[in-house]
Amino acid sequence: MTLGGGARVLLADDDEDIRDLVAFKLGQAGYAVQAVDDGMSAWEAFQADLPRMVVLDVMMPGLSGIDVLRKIRGSGAPEVPVLLLSSRSQDADIDLGFAIGATDYVIKPFSPRELLHRVNGLLARTR
Amino acid sequence: MSAAEVLVVVRGGLEWLLALGAAPVLVYFTVVNTFSLLIIVLAALELRMQQHRDSAEVASHVGELIPGVSVIVPAHNEQAGVVQAVKALLTLRYPRHEVVVVDDGSTDQTLQCLVDAFDLVPVPRAVPQDVPVEAVVRQVLVPRDGRTRLVVVSKDNSGKTEAVNTGINAATETLVAIIDADSVLEPDALLRVARPFSDDPIRMVASGGSVRAANGSRIVDGRVVRVQLSRRWLPRIQVVEYFRAFLLGRAGWSRLGCLILISGAFGLFRRDLVVEVGGLNNSSIGEDFELVLRLHRHLRDQGRDYRLGFVAEPVAWTEVPESLAVLRRQRRRWHRGLWETLSAYRGMLLRPRYGRVGFLALPYYWVFELFAPLLEALGLIMLAAGLALGVIDVEFALLFLLLAYGYAAFVTLCALAVEEWGFHRHERWRDLPLIMAASVLENIGYRQLTVWWRLEGWWASLRGKKQVWGVMTRTGFDGGATRAGRDRAAR
Amino acid sequence: MRPQSLDIAIATTGWLCLGMMLLIVLLRVRRLLRARRQVALMAPYRRDLLVVGAGEDHDGAGARRLARTHGPAAGEVMGSAVEMLGKVRGTPADELIHLLTIRGEVSEAARRLSSLLAVRRARAAHVLGLCQQDPAVPQLIHALGDSTVEVRAAAAHALGLIGNPVAAPPLLRAVGATDAGIPACVAAEALLAMGTGVAGALLDGLADPQPRTRDVAAHVSGVGAFTRCRPQLRALLRDDADLTVRQTCAAALGAVGGAEDAEVLGRHTRQGVPLSLRRVCVAALGDLGDPEALPALAMLLHDPDPWLAELAAAALLQIDPGAGSTLSDMAGTEATDPRRGRPVASALLVAGLRGAVTE
Repeated sequence: MTLGGGARVLLADDDEDIRDLVAFKLGQAGYAVQAVDDGMSAWEAFQADLPRMVVLDVMMPGLSGIDVLRKIRGSGAPEVPVLLLSSRSQDADIDLGFAIGATDYVIKPFSPRELLHRVNGLLARTR
Repeated sequence: MSAAEVLVVVRGGLEWLLALGAAPVLVYFTVVNTFSLLIIVLAALELRMQQHRDSAEVASHVGELIPGVSVIVPAHNEQAGVVQAVKALLTLRYPRHEVVVVDDGSTDQTLQCLVDAFDLVPVPRAVPQDVPVEAVVRQVLVPRDGRTRLVVVSKDNSGKTEAVNTGINAATETLVAIIDADSVLEPDALLRVARPFSDDPIRMVASGGSVRAANGSRIVDGRVVRVQLSRRWLPRIQVVEYFRAFLLGRAGWSRLGCLILISGAFGLFRRDLVVEVGGLNNSSIGEDFELVLRLHRHLRDQGRDYRLGFVAEPVAWTEVPESLAVLRRQRRRWHRGLWETLSAYRGMLLRPRYGRVGFLALPYYWVFELFAPLLEALGLIMLAAGLALGVIDVEFALLFLLLAYGYAAFVTLCALAVEEWGFHRHERWRDLPLIMAASVLENIGYRQLTVWWRLEGWWASLRGKKQVWGVMTRTGFDGGATRAGRDRAAR
Repeated sequence: MRPQSLDIAIATTGWLCLGMMLLIVLLRVRRLLRARRQVALMAPYRRDLLVVGAGEDHDGAGARRLARTHGPAAGEVMGSAVEMLGKVRGTPADELIHLLTIRGEVSEAARRLSSLLAVRRARAAHVLGLCQQDPAVPQLIHALGDSTVEVRAAAAHALGLIGNPVAAPPLLRAVGATDAGIPACVAAEALLAMGTGVAGALLDGLADPQPRTRDVAAHVSGVGAFTRCRPQLRALLRDDADLTVRQTCAAALGAVGGAEDAEVLGRHTRQGVPLSLRRVCVAALGDLGDPEALPALAMLLHDPDPWLAELAAAALLQIDPGAGSTLSDMAGTEATDPRRGRPVASALLVAGLRGAVTE
């Protein structure tokens, strides 16, 4: 279960509960989580210091997760795996997300354990 | 006749005028402000209910029964911002939507910018003539990947109305949203404004979203990322105006069940109905207002049961005029559009067939929106002339000022209170006193100016002058606080 | 008007304005203070809640500490637990439900369903739904007839979360029972969450006198693949009074229909049928994917409405990607009428861009 090794994960969610929950879960597993509460901050954090992985909530005011993803993929930075969190299994979000370059997708309500497995898996695959 | 005699006559006339008009003017202002207050209370109740609904259904953005939306963007010489705007629209969160850009014979690089940015290829498709359009369509283009749901229609220049109607023709989804190229939508805008349709798919025919003034706010990639107040007083006052008029006016009216004005910057309509009533009307400048009234009339004439929805939570942001010159043109045009539309639909007034629209909403608009500047001007003239000639007593002057402006300032502050309670979008503490100051300052100079401008517009229409579109100078939305003032048709 | 009362009026207005400004500031302060207070109350328990929510409470110590809270903090903790419950599933959700149950929040919610305040009733329904309280289903069904639409919607949503199909018939009836009824989308979602047991209710719903109910039933039949409803869907497509319902039925048949539905869909693509319905039927034929539809679609390729013709060509390609060559022959002979364009060529081009044509 513990894979982290201090790998930096950038997490963006305007919902404080989810933010704290995911940060906690990933933190327990050994990841170094940087949590921000909106899209703009996520983009600025991404630019300031390239993370190993990004977890984005789709539904955020201002810049949504999709918008941030678009900027990340368009930035020319190396292929950082991006995991999207969305509140409903809307096909459109999934389609749009993958079209823009999301690596994986988790639907809320989510299982924290499953999220951790996904994160571990993504990082293992993209070493 | 000597000067003194003339003066006596004028004084006598003024006294007579005052005797006649003083009471009505005072009563008028008392009534209009009290009514506004009532509407605000109604809106507050509506807001409360919506809030509780939202909190009781966590993550309740629904996916079922959501109709598809075609977002129609008429564009004329918008090379500076069109690509950004279209990208922002394409990435709105919505299960099924397409963006239809209609290039109205732009003489700049608008079309080429779109072609380059989205890798467009021409397709031998003709745009159907569901709504009759005269101008010739030159080309229809789609992205080369065959997946991006964007359609660009290039046509000969013939004005915004025909551009929109062409867009309606080219639209393929159930609902159409007509937006301006410089409107900035929130990512969930379509989800929110389409919600009334998924609640009541049978009867809902149109829904509107609340619009806010974006001047001064930080905009990145076509999204408002930080709400900030402009540094200039003119936009600040308009922010307050928008709160009061768009947010609460609409929400309150919606609760009364007779919403007739859907903000031009963001309205969602059932495409088949818009086609049924003949699309946008070329000869009217109050386009969206006119369309909604036409829908009301058509549906009631047919005896069909229908609903209009309104979403109080802000969904769209727009740039308001920053200079007096542009503001003046805008207000003249609005009032002219109001007059022409109300006049065209006066047959609906006070007719039982048109229900609350005919008995409540339209009379209100006639008396309290159309005639408002006239009565206010009358009051101001009586005030000024009366004081100058010593005809008037200070009491009347003070009473008038109190009822017309003091009471109005109070009503606006109530609107602000509801905004603070319900939406609190302007989070910075330093903006709060500025907004409150703006709601008082509005009554000292600003309102009087708009009175004059509105009367100008009305008079121009009565004299049969043709409306001339202002010159649009745009530098693109992104990039900070200052941009050239611009002229827009929508209300 | 006497000067004195005028002075009073002016002063009053001034004070009212100032008072309102003060109120605005107070509203903001109250909101901020309340948020801060909530955070402060939660602070000692936040970590425990996160531990439970993350499924890391292996020894149950966190849950026990949360269960022992009392006073104002308890209310805050339970509220946060409910919020978190809406966001997680799996073991953490079970543990949160257990916490809420042993603290009596569930029985309290059942009581509050009959509160005088609509807000309380709605929230109570929400809690019962999140906690998967099957015993509360009869009460929630009763709440479907509440006087306030927000409560009805919350009850419907809760019934969906619980997922007991016995609630389906009353839910469908309630959709159109009153003017606002139950928001169609909420009802549809709830029904879809109830599984296959709602088929009978859907059949009744399709026969309901209210168009909104029929619309919901038709939509759910399609999305949920309820093939038993096909005969009814066909009947409604033929002669329902409401055009929206007919369109929903057409779309549903496209999703759930079989070969025998191609005929009725095809019939409704002909002239004389409202244009919007014709277009929906064409799209549905494409989704249906049955070769039975090909003749009807082929006829439409010459329809005067260019978009309809293009939709038909696209549907043809969807059913039979190998028809590309036949269609391109036809495209070659399309007259270049600027009013009509070249729909078949257009459809081929778009399909080709998408990579959906085979030779």
